[in-house]
Amino acid sequence: MSTTSSGRPPGRTGRTRRAVQAAVAALATVTLTAACAAGGPAEAGGGSGEPREGGDIVFLIDSLGDTWIPNNSSISSFQGHVWGHVTDKLVYVDAEGEVSPWVAESWEQNDDATQFTLHLKDGVTFSDGSPLDAAAVVENLDTWAFGAPDAGISPVGLFPKTYDRAEAVDESTVEVYFDAPTLGFVPTLGYHGSILVSPETLALPAEEQADLSNDIGSGPFVVESWKEGDSVVLTKREDYDWGPEAVGHTGPAYLDTITYKLVAESSTRTGAVQSGQADVAYNATPQELDSFKEQGFSVDVPRYLGFVNGYRLNTRVAPFDDTLVRQAFQHGIDRDEILSTVYTEDWSAAEGLIQSNVPEATDHSDSFAYDPELAASLLDEAGWTEGADGVRTKDGEPLELTLYPNPYLATSKAIDELVAQQLGELGFAVDIQAYDVVTFGERVSDNTSLSNYEVTRSFIDVGTVASILTDAENGEDWFGLGQSDERTNELRDAVAQATDLDERAKAVDELQEHLLEEAYFAPVTQIVQRIYVSNPELHDVTYNGVAYASYYTAWLED
Amino acid sequence: MNASYLRFAGRRLLQAVVVVLLAYVFTFVVISVLPGDPVTNTLRNPENGFTEEEIARIVAYYGLDQPVVVQLWQSLSHFVVGDLGVSLRSNLPVTRLVAEVVPSTLALAASALAVALVLAFAVAYGTQNLPRRYGQGVLRALPSLFLSVPAFVVGLLLIQVFAFQLGLFRVIEPDGAWATFFAAVALGIPVSAQVAEVLITGLDHESRQEYAAVARSRGLGQARLFAKHLLKPSSLPVVTVVALTVGELLGGALIIETIFGRTGVGSLVQRSVSTQDLPVLQAVVSLAAVVFVVVNLLADLVYPLLDPRVRLDRAPRKAAGQPGPEQPTPEQPILERQVSVP
Repeated sequence: MSTTSSGRPPGRTGRTRRAVQAAVAALATVTLTAACAAGGPAEAGGGSGEPREGGDIVFLIDSLGDTWIPNNSSISSFQGHVWGHVTDKLVYVDAEGEVSPWVAESWEQNDDATQFTLHLKDGVTFSDGSPLDAAAVVENLDTWAFGAPDAGISPVGLFPKTYDRAEAVDESTVEVYFDAPTLGFVPTLGYHGSILVSPETLALPAEEQADLSNDIGSGPFVVESWKEGDSVVLTKREDYDWGPEAVGHTGPAYLDTITYKLVAESSTRTGAVQSGQADVAYNATPQELDSFKEQGFSVDVPRYLGFVNGYRLNTRVAPFDDTLVRQAFQHGIDRDEILSTVYTEDWSAAEGLIQSNVPEATDHSDSFAYDPELAASLLDEAGWTEGADGVRTKDGEPLELTLYPNPYLATSKAIDELVAQQLGELGFAVDIQAYDVVTFGERVSDNTSLSNYEVTRSFIDVGTVASILTDAENGEDWFGLGQSDERTNELRDAVAQATDLDERAKAVDELQEHLLEEAYFAPVTQIVQRIYVSNPELHDVTYNGVAYASYYTAWLED
Repeated sequence: MNASYLRFAGRRLLQAVVVVLLAYVFTFVVISVLPGDPVTNTLRNPENGFTEEEIARIVAYYGLDQPVVVQLWQSLSHFVVGDLGVSLRSNLPVTRLVAEVVPSTLALAASALAVALVLAFAVAYGTQNLPRRYGQGVLRALPSLFLSVPAFVVGLLLIQVFAFQLGLFRVIEPDGAWATFFAAVALGIPVSAQVAEVLITGLDHESRQEYAAVARSRGLGQARLFAKHLLKPSSLPVVTVVALTVGELLGGALIIETIFGRTGVGSLVQRSVSTQDLPVLQAVVSLAAVVFVVVNLLADLVYPLLDPRVRLDRAPRKAAGQPGPEQPTPEQPILERQVSVP
């Protein structure tokens, strides 16, 4: 019997294989190089400045959120993009926190800020033709405040809990009543949760409201089609004529359509914009941005109004039950190193508890500036002495600490790693425990036994600050103070019960000074949660107070 | 259709139903032991600022405050009458969600299977017929290479080159013909490796058989020998492997759909897993179980066509999920006449 296979000369095959391997490697290199050198945009800039009618844009987004029930979803950081074009709000809040008229053309309040009168624009209609009048506004206010929990519809969480009721005085006047002074009411009307939808939509059961096609708004665009977890196509509404004056345009939008398309992979989103297949890529990574700028793409990193990114320290849990250790923590963080390592020049260091574009913001950066020598001497003073392994101890206990990166902020883990290094040099033994969103919610979010929590949190009215300080009135008690700190209680009341904006701004300033002096909070950087890389031929995009891009004012070059 | 066939089919059908129900209950148990539920997880996000009382009322609306056993019973009793319920994440009917994504995944999986088969047969053909010094060794190494390069790397590379460089397809229209083709290539390559491995082994074995030598000695060309004599007996284990790769196609679809931006079963699963959307996951797992069982059933039915020695009355002896019937013993001569070759 003869054999038909085997007996191949090993040396020769070996050589052939090596040659082919080399060829494959070379081919892969060439392809990759070609891929990396992807052609830049056609030509950057050069617009005449005169808006052009028409055009379609494609916005690539990494998620389209969960449900589309307006009340439950309007706060989603993804769905807010769609709602912002399909619906209007009563007032407009710009990137600087400035409140201006929109559907409400004017408003008044009584002296103790418990009663507000809203005067609505005439002629505003929902896209199904029904009027957006006082009765519709009252229904929306009630829904935001109370929801319908027994029908699966939640209230809008951050709507003032002091809301009592609203009444339609006539077709264009709404009277709103509160149980207690609520200066934050009017700014809250410009928050992304406060979207006006038609009473007919509000009357639908949860399952039908979850179908975006049934959600009728009064915005400059309407939903043409959508597919769950895939895409939403918006077309402009020709008879729209009530845009916010603050954006400098009130008529119909310039663009014909906006397509929001889910592309989960970040490099595919940016690659598609680079190759001209899409116009906007959302949530690129900070490290990529410089190269996009060099290639001539528009990169926007609007800041939202809210708290800065930083650590709230639990005064009930060691080692932060000692003011000196908290202060050492504050002064031991090198914010410049974090900015230059994790971010680009578009990011800036924190100047206090709140982002510096909040109207009430004041600069307190001196009180927590990086000063490792000061930090070391504070720890010495507190009785923590450095051991042979570089870790400080006191009464035999090491100076231990665990950080929990916030899964809602992509750069959080990188920041925590740097902070761990910086504090390690001071003699802290820092551990990092990273969780996914679900586990984080279970183990970290409400856990009062942890020594710290990394804050990422937006708000539209600085009055929110009052609700996080202590445990009074369902307060979040960020620092584990309960009501033990008299000065904090006093300033909390001054902010919460203020009836005058200047008076409140002063209280916020004093509050920040107090919190940072006591080192309850260790600020790190100002937060940019939304990053946009766009086609340079797309002009005049506006960003509001919560950093959402609005393409109502935008237009495409020919 | 004879009685033994009907008995066989009936038994397999019963097995299939049991498998699907077990898959359904298993999914429920696995998801239930995870901490939290999708509704509470969403509401607990501090950005929402809900009170515990508000959260409790909404959780009660979804029936998530009930004991797990009660929830399982309710969900199972709806499932058996075809009511898949409502998604906890999107609040939309599960049937609508699944119906929206199935066509896209079906197209992707079918194309990927086609790509895998063409690739596997081409490689296998090459290993038999290329002159040994020109690349046969390389071809034999290809399946290992195909298996070891992650699908997402191939996928990203294909997008970079064919979408962004050559503009052959647009990533925002992932259901177009070219886009589907390249997604299928990325998904099909690792699958082709397994098919090719099995096929090459089979061909090597068959070509060493005496009948092959006889055929060759009679002057039959390599190509005709391959097509007429070697391929059929070598294909039998391929059917088994292909049936088993269905699971791989569905699993791989998850990654490939994410990379290519396709909205299919994989991306639905991905969104549902991350939010613990139990009704959707149960529906998808049950669907996958059905597909898996049906495909393997079809495979069993194809064997007799390829090899008459496989008889139906032997098939029920195997447990469900165990691949294939016994393979033909190599000693049995295929040719009618035994011819001795010097």
